Amino acid sequence: MSEQTGKQLSKEEKDARFEAELLPVLDPLYNFAYRLTLDEDDANDLVQETYLKAYRFFDYFEQGTNAKAWLFRILKNSFINEFRKKSKQPAKVDYSEVEGYYNSDDVEGEGGVATTTDMRTESVQDLIGDEVASALNALPVDFRTVIILCDLEGFTYEEMAKILDIPIGTVRSRLHRARNSLKEKLEKYAKSMGYNS
Amino acid sequence: MESKFTEAAHQKLSEDGHESECDKIAHLLDLMIDGEASTEEQSYFNTHIEECVPCFESHQKQKLLKGLVSGHLKRVIVPESLALSIKARIQETV
Repeated sequence: MSEQTGKQLSKEEKDARFEAELLPVLDPLYNFAYRLTLDEDDANDLVQETYLKAYRFFDYFEQGTNAKAWLFRILKNSFINEFRKKSKQPAKVDYSEVEGYYNSDDVEGEGGVATTTDMRTESVQDLIGDEVASALNALPVDFRTVIILCDLEGFTYEEMAKILDIPIGTVRSRLHRARNSLKEKLEKYAKSMGYNS
Repeated sequence: MESKFTEAAHQKLSEDGHESECDKIAHLLDLMIDGEASTEEQSYFNTHIEECVPCFESHQKQKLLKGLVSGHLKRVIVPESLALSIKARIQETV
């Protein structure tokens, strides 16, 4: 696809290029997978599957183009095509479980110390975050998806259209409905913050 | 004293079955907070909300909603082992 054809690259070179271009997306990709599946193990599997697919099709990936959008698209398709069927019912998530995990001391010594300390500093921030997370998790997966892509990952409508394989008009209307739905769920909380709906 | 705000006038526009100005503004809300509005749309929007309280408030609410997700939703931490197992599986792949 690019000037240097994939065939010229040794496996080592290809692997190095793959890691350099695509592994930096691991964090947002895992977060996206987690928000879709609401399960850490499922997110783990989904992300691995995504990278393996990406590796298989890496020759078609044009260097320097939007690696993040490309991987998100592969992950989203994997989720729809195979994963959704076999994954555990993602209807509910016990967010306190996730909380417990990150606040526990077990994770120390595994390199996560700085982040976990960060996460428990502001209890008020935590409360808001929990409220938003449970409202978001209660949305249908299509609604959750557009909100994550737009508000958390900052994709443009055009990128979202490509990731989701839908027209921009559909991105807009879905996002609009998703936000209305989220607004409804957060209403109670919002009122307590003096935000009259 | 002349009212500073003319929301009533804007809302009346829908009587003839056409979209009222406030309806048009409502359709631009997401574009505005997502930075997807054209320059023309932006100036149309900003001019309107300067004099229309309900639309001004809707805009504030929509910004707040987006901010709740972007600013407060916690990111989950990627398990340390994940990058390693991806690299390992790729190296096995021919």
